[in-house]
Amino acid sequence: MDFAWLLQSLLNGLSIGSVYAVFALGYTLVFSILGIINFAHGAVFTLGAYLTYALAVGRFGINGLLADVTMPVTLPFVPALLVGAVLSGLAGMAVERLAFKPLRQRGADPLLALVSSLGVALIVVNLIQYLVGAEIYSFPADIFGDLPMAVIFQIGGKPVAVRTIQIILFGASLVMLAGLGWFIGRTRGGKALRATAENADTASLLGISVNRFILGTFFISGLLGGLAGTLIGVSFGVAGPYFGVSYGLKGLAVIVLGGLGSIPGAVLGGLVIGLGEAFLPSDMSSYKEAVAFVLLFAILLVRPQGLLGGRLEQKV
Amino acid sequence: MKRIVIALALVLCAAQSALADKVATPIPIGIAVAQTSNVALFGQEQVNGAKLAEERLNAAGGVNGTKIALVFQDTAGDEAGAVNAFQNLLNRDKVVAIIGPTLSQQAFAANPIADRAKTPVVGPSNTAKGIPEIGEFVGRISAPMTQVAPNSLKQAMKIKPDLKRVAVLYAQNDAFSSSETTTFQDAVKELGLETVTVQKFQTTDTDFTTQVTAVLGANADLVIISGLAADSGNLVKQLRQLGYKGLIVGGNGLNSPNMFPVCGALCNDVLVAQAYSPGAVDKNPVNKDFAAAFEAAYKKGPAQFSAQAYAAVQVVVEALAKIEKETGKKIADFELADLRAALNKSLRTGTYLTPMGEISMAPSGEVQQKDFYVSKIVMNPDGKTGSFVLVSE
Amino acid sequence: MSGFFENYGFLIVTIVQQALLGLSIYFPLMAGQLSLASIGFYSLGGYVAAVMGTHPALAPLREALGFWMFPLEWLGALVLSVILGIAVGYPALRLRGIYLALATVAFVQVVNVAVLNMPIAGGAVGIFGIPQAFESRLDYIWFFGPLFLLALFLVWRIGNMGRGLAFFAVREDELAAGAMGVAVTGNKVTAFVLGCALAGVTGAMSAPFLNTWNARQGTFDASVTCLAYVLIGGSRSIWGPLCGAALLVSLPELLRPLKDSRMILNGIVLVAACVYLPQGIMGGLAALRARLSGRGGAA
Repeated sequence: MDFAWLLQSLLNGLSIGSVYAVFALGYTLVFSILGIINFAHGAVFTLGAYLTYALAVGRFGINGLLADVTMPVTLPFVPALLVGAVLSGLAGMAVERLAFKPLRQRGADPLLALVSSLGVALIVVNLIQYLVGAEIYSFPADIFGDLPMAVIFQIGGKPVAVRTIQIILFGASLVMLAGLGWFIGRTRGGKALRATAENADTASLLGISVNRFILGTFFISGLLGGLAGTLIGVSFGVAGPYFGVSYGLKGLAVIVLGGLGSIPGAVLGGLVIGLGEAFLPSDMSSYKEAVAFVLLFAILLVRPQGLLGGRLEQKV
Repeated sequence: MKRIVIALALVLCAAQSALADKVATPIPIGIAVAQTSNVALFGQEQVNGAKLAEERLNAAGGVNGTKIALVFQDTAGDEAGAVNAFQNLLNRDKVVAIIGPTLSQQAFAANPIADRAKTPVVGPSNTAKGIPEIGEFVGRISAPMTQVAPNSLKQAMKIKPDLKRVAVLYAQNDAFSSSETTTFQDAVKELGLETVTVQKFQTTDTDFTTQVTAVLGANADLVIISGLAADSGNLVKQLRQLGYKGLIVGGNGLNSPNMFPVCGALCNDVLVAQAYSPGAVDKNPVNKDFAAAFEAAYKKGPAQFSAQAYAAVQVVVEALAKIEKETGKKIADFELADLRAALNKSLRTGTYLTPMGEISMAPSGEVQQKDFYVSKIVMNPDGKTGSFVLVSE
Repeated sequence: MSGFFENYGFLIVTIVQQALLGLSIYFPLMAGQLSLASIGFYSLGGYVAAVMGTHPALAPLREALGFWMFPLEWLGALVLSVILGIAVGYPALRLRGIYLALATVAFVQVVNVAVLNMPIAGGAVGIFGIPQAFESRLDYIWFFGPLFLLALFLVWRIGNMGRGLAFFAVREDELAAGAMGVAVTGNKVTAFVLGCALAGVTGAMSAPFLNTWNARQGTFDASVTCLAYVLIGGSRSIWGPLCGAALLVSLPELLRPLKDSRMILNGIVLVAACVYLPQGIMGGLAALRARLSGRGGAA
């Protein structure tokens, strides 16, 4: 139990946790406004990674309709990331228009949105596979220039290391959190969003066009999802059309742990679960997958509104 | 009037199914692999290999001049999907044999269906214990990796004779990896090495920093990985990035070009245990042809899943040709049920020179593969493509 | 015609099997509780049957009982499901709505990890070569069919007696129901445990049906799919789960001719069903009937 080990585990936890946090931000945003879990978020996240790949690298593999196709123009990484994120934002809007708005208008059981968003996820994931196959795509290693692969330093004669990409992910999650916080707290659009979240009927009486703001929420959620998808794709490779969907379930644990609908809670929840996994004794690695859900179950029993959740109300 | 026509049609249908079916021409061979779901990463490689086999074997005359036609039915990634695909191939497509399914778990559910229908199944990628025992019509050409694991360890000892401390990592939720790792762990004991840590992960994991910390903390000088391409690629990458300098030996799941884009230049020098090696061409002209044709068709080296699917089609076609030779009767003149039975026998006789080298099928349906390989990953300067370079033959 | 059943027998039985899972979600929904725990009990029930059917230590018992081993497996699954259902239900059912759903999702995930770590469950490969009750897949309808009828009967019976009124009272307003003397927690747990027991027995019947059992049977996707059966079928009708399962299970098979793009269309149909049948298939049918009879009256 030496200090170097503690520090290394702390860094590991933050590193894993920031992956979860980055994923969960866009996920929790929709919940905070609509009180609905958007199962298509994982698919939009995946789409973001593929879109950025198409824009930045533009060469496809040997499977799918686009086999052997090379895009006529490619962008440098950062513009590609931004364009890819905006396109994912548009995809998020399409999800709202296809899967959520029609249900609201018809007064359907709110639970049905779980199913319809799952349907959209099925479409997106299989469309990606239809077009570019299930193979693994990756971004060039030098995408961030010539940064070293990892930062390694000595504590008491023992090495402690953290991968550069993890520092970037951690930073990105904080920047995204800060940006979102600024937008919601300080801008007029953000205030209208909060009003919509508080009470949609009152908001519409106040002259806020609720549907437009919901659409805006989905755009931002998709945008964040696209950014996150690309960053995680850079870190771990774009491992097939299902790679984002597999974060969905743990992402659910993350946003509930932090407090459903709480935006800083999503980051906190991610970090807590990451730390929980990192501090699990190494001879218990086979139980790592259960950590998030044991924490989730425990917090629900003790404090159902989550770590940072304020009000507890009946939404689905 | 209408009623009479319908009644007549019904009678005809009944009569049709009561009559014994003839074998169709071109000869239908079923391929039931995962073309959708998250197993499609492997399924699509199998499709590529099988399609290439169909094209090349037909160009070479098919079964003594009669062409074959592959019938693809998607199994998706689950057991029910595999059963449905098998039912379609057996009852509607009337295939002479089925090649598939992708996962061993699916095989346990679907193969008994084919066995009851007395139709031979050739497993192209099922490696779990107990597959050939499902029934007399079930066989496989994918070897369970009991022999190759020790080979790759011996190669590692050859490179670094003073190896001592071994860290073993494996994908706990993958059937193949979790059985392969026991073989590895036994081999480690037999070679007198010390296992300093055993770490488990999931094939869906992406971040391995805790496992890597454990490996570094245990001062291992050899890491053995049993996993699949995407997870193992990330594991190798993170091991190297966080400062692990020792040798890495990978199991058969790492024998895939899908590793290359994930760990990039950091894949270099990983030793991989192989049931198929694209580099083993010197003594094997069939593999030389196959690898070249695959490269020409897909601009990429063949994966093991592709090679095994190719070999499965090849084995079925050669077994069909053998039936014609021995009975002097064209395949198209057989009743379907008779041919399926004859094919099952024929599959289990003789040897086949496939891209994986010489293989045969024991009467039990178990594969007997002569050669296994150990290769070293050598990446190209672009850091995205690479190749497996044979270190043993 | 025999060809049809030969080819689609498995599919038909799968529809009933999945409808049972849908019904197991329907029970707690009757008392207003959204639980996704079913699939965990389904998985555990399957393991009970798989272990009892294959474990060498039980070979003498199997020989002595013959076919009666299967009902014993169901009983084993039932007992385990009821005990575990009560143990999970009491703490979890203090939660409501989405929080209960999430707690049950967490429970299913923990079960999955635990099972993967139990040597008796066979690790990632799972358990295979499970003794068969019937030759043909279609014959398994003699397992699932009666269970389905029994479950339907239970739903119908509960709906028409005091217990049902209590369930509905809890569904509509817990506080008011409690004030009127309805045992809120007791009724919620009863509804929950009924669902767990049904899912557990369904799992025990499914292990021989699939011939193999592994941790992949109890995934989160499967949980949501079960919920989809209820919602797509119509959550206010006892026939809803069957209709939903019939559509969702057969759809990928009907779309087989589309080859590579079939799963895309599958998603499109799913979304369209949600949008155009917001009350589910049964709700849509009821609306259609109302419209037709309304028109008939006017004419």
